[in-house]
Order: sequence, then C-alpha cells, then structure tokens
Amino acid sequence: MQSSRAGRRRLPGSVGDALIGLATIAVLLALWEIAVQAGALNDYYFPPPSKLARSLVTLTTTGFPRGVTVFSHIGATLMRILLGYALATVIAIPLGLVIGSNDRLYQAVNPIIIFARSVATISLLPLAVAWFGVGEISRVFLIAYGCSWIILTNTIHGVRVVDPRLLRAAEVLGTSRRDMFYRVVLPASLPRIFAGMKVALGLAFLVIVAVEMIGTVEGLGALIMEARTFYRTDTTIVGMVIISLFGFLLSKFLDRAERALLPWAAGLEEVER
Amino acid sequence: MTDTATPRIVIDHVTKEFVSREGERALALADVSFNVGANEFVSIVGRSGCGKTTLLNMVAGLLKPSSGRVLVNNRPVEKPGPDRGMVFQQAALFPWLTAIDNIEFGPRNQGVPKAERRRQAQALIELVRLSGFENKYPHELSGGMQQRVAIARALATDPEILLMDEPFGALDELTRSQMQDELLRIWEASRKTVLLVTHSIFEALFLSDRIIILSPHPGRLRKEVKVDLPRPRQRTSKEFLEYYEEVHNAIF
Repeated sequence: MQSSRAGRRRLPGSVGDALIGLATIAVLLALWEIAVQAGALNDYYFPPPSKLARSLVTLTTTGFPRGVTVFSHIGATLMRILLGYALATVIAIPLGLVIGSNDRLYQAVNPIIIFARSVATISLLPLAVAWFGVGEISRVFLIAYGCSWIILTNTIHGVRVVDPRLLRAAEVLGTSRRDMFYRVVLPASLPRIFAGMKVALGLAFLVIVAVEMIGTVEGLGALIMEARTFYRTDTTIVGMVIISLFGFLLSKFLDRAERALLPWAAGLEEVER
Repeated sequence: MTDTATPRIVIDHVTKEFVSREGERALALADVSFNVGANEFVSIVGRSGCGKTTLLNMVAGLLKPSSGRVLVNNRPVEKPGPDRGMVFQQAALFPWLTAIDNIEFGPRNQGVPKAERRRQAQALIELVRLSGFENKYPHELSGGMQQRVAIARALATDPEILLMDEPFGALDELTRSQMQDELLRIWEASRKTVLLVTHSIFEALFLSDRIIILSPHPGRLRKEVKVDLPRPRQRTSKEFLEYYEEVHNAIF
C-alpha cells in the first residue's frame, strides 16, 4: 500500500522525463527542417520550423493582418474564453447544486439537460448570430453555453453520488439538514465539480476557434482563418501552436489550483476504484 | 463494575421486516430480546444474514423496528443522538477534513466553542495514540489509524453508548489484534457501554462481558454467553478455548 503510493508519486526524475520529451521534439523539428531543405517535403504544405519562426517574428512586430499583433490575438481570445468560462461557472455550479439536491427537480429537468448537452455547441452558431449579432456577445455566449452543460452535469452528479457511508456517519453525529448540505454534500462534491471545470476548459478552447472564424480579425481563431485565406500555412500553424500552448497552460493552472484547494482529494482516485 | 440491573439498552421483542421496491418481503429479525447494562461490553455474533447490523442500526436510530421496542435509557429510540456514538466497518471519515477536524465534527454540530472542541479533540488524539498525525488527511493514514480516528470521532460527543459495526473487519489480522488491545484500553479508560457487532468469535471473547449469538434467516436469538474471565484475556488459555468451543457450537 505505502510503497505503491510512493511509487506512483512524481519523483524528481520527472525533470529527466521532461528533458527526454523535449529532446524528442527538437529532433523531430530538426528532421522536418532537413526534409524540407532537401526537397523531400513541400514547403507550402509543411512549412519548416525556420519559416514558422520568421512568421512568429512578423506576427509580433508588424502583425497579421498588418497592425494586429499576436498579442492582440492572444488577448482577444483569452478574454472571450475567460468571460464565457467564468459565466458558465457562475451559472452552472449554483444551479447544479440546487438541481442535484432536489430529487423532483432533478427528474423534471434531467431530460432537458441530456438533450441540451448533446447539442453540438458550434451548431448553435447561426442561431447565436441571429440572437446576438456577429459581435462579442455571440462568441462569449457560445463558450458559456458549451461549458455550462459540462459543469452543470458534473455538479449535479457530484451532489447526487455522495458516499452514503459519509451521509450515515454525519447523521449519527447529529448533523442538521443545513449542515448536511454545507459540511458534507458540498465538500464531497467538489472533486467532481473540479473535474467538470477541467473538461469544460478543454471545450472552451475547441469552441473558440470556430466562433472566431466569423465577424472578426482579432483572436487566434481569426488569425488561423485569415492566414488560410492568404495561403499563409506558416501563420496558420503558428496560431494553432499558440492556442494549444495556452490551452495546455490553463489546464495545468487548473490542476495546480485543484491540488492547492483540495489537497485532501489527492488519494481519492485510488480509493474510489 | 458493570451494572446489568439498570439496562442502558433494551431490545424488547424486536422484529424487522424489509420490503423491497418490488414488494418482496424479507424478515431480517424475528422477536429478538436482550438487554445491555450500563458500562457493559456486549458483542453480537452470528453468520451473515442474522440481522446483527440491522439491530445495531436500530439502536443507533438509523432504522425503526417493524414491531417491538428499542429503548435507550428507558426511552424509545427515535433518531440518532449524541448519547450514542457509532463506528462503522469502513472508517467513513470525511476525506476533506484532517484527523482532528474529523474528531471535532460532532462537537461542532452541538455548538461546542472552538477552543473547547480543540482541547477535547487533542485529548482524544492522545487517547487513541495518534499524536503527531492530527493534521493528516484520512488518505494519508493507514487503515488502523483511520479506524482510531473513527473511534475518537465517535467518542468526541462523550456518548454513554458506543456502537461498533465490525470496526476491525477491514483490517489485517495483526493490526486487528492490536486494535482489540487498544479498544479494551480505551473502554477501560472511558467506561462506555459498548455494543459490538463482529464476525470474529475470538474478537468477541477477547473483549466482551457477554456475547449475544444470533442465528440467520431470520435473525433470532440463539444463545447468550457470559464470559467470566479476567482481563486482559489470554487468547490461547484453556478457559478461553473452552469458551470458543461453546460459542462456535452455538453458531453452527
């Protein structure tokens, strides 16, 4: 027990693991560069790292389209994601807590939730444009919409599947109905709420690219689309990499936040299985 | 020492029938009666399906009898109360609370002030020998340590009665016999009335003043055995093994 737990913990050796991973990427990039220089790969379909680097420099100085630097693209994208995501969190968590702790309400709204959750967020784009126009509201709305259902269903589930042994223990300890919610059900559901928030963040990064493809030249999704129109595959790839990088960083940030806020949940996964 | 004349717990012709969602009826307990005296240590043993946990849950106030009465201090049990502490087979600790915060959970429900709570909990930490582990989360503790926290948590409201549902059933044998010694020490230090459900004849004999033997399907009282051996008991003494034989034969 003790040893298997220690074995699974990330050791200082993970720095070594990371180095191996980075070295592999460096080798692959070098091979790619060589393959293009040697004429084995087409420079338009597979713009080599050197070209991508030049493209990044152009993006940070003159910008693409001219005057819109990569920083404005990043700023616009992050702003939309954070607004939509925050909106989803603020709406879905309290709503999920209420629905999850009320059987009748849960039965009443569950079919609606199942349906609404299954709607592909992007398919709502035309409708959102009809409702809110092609401006920022539509984009933020779609991100919030997509994220909401994931956070909502996870919150509901978290509230509903609290370990009955904990409920019984609390009951025997004379816990009032109010405290049962605030001191047992709520903390017990936090790991699952967090899990929902992590999945939702991933979705936000999928949705953003699509919603930025119309009505704006600002944002990483817009950058990718615009670059394609001008046959700038290098710029498309740079935009793609930057989006992935921020998606990765934000999800790492959430992992860190979870470990800091819920230190007790660390051993939970192995216990639950 | 033990005072059987004034019963703490009275099980009076208790029958419990469960009805499943499909309407099937299952008789868990049929007309069971016995008493537990103040400060007495009583164990309930029997094979699976003898309704021993059901019986314990009724004393805890988690279940109601279909007929008959369950009295604690001469009053019918309606719901759980601070006069009865309970320890479950799985420690059932709140994973988001540290050991000491788990212990303080009951007193906090009762509105005991923070400083007072902490002082009592610290004393219980020492009683169950977990000094130095009070700020650990349950997942950082071994199974035996978790069960110690659970015992301390049950004792924190200073209940007259300690109800234990196979508290050491999930522990390995060595930890288990160590925990039995500990429980005996704690019981002697705190002088609670204890009702313990167990699968283990050895455990019941080692700990109890009296053993209630139930037969399964439906649970009926088969025999009561008074264990007249001084403590601490030698698990391999001749008298101990004779008692073992007696209880074993009553079960099978």
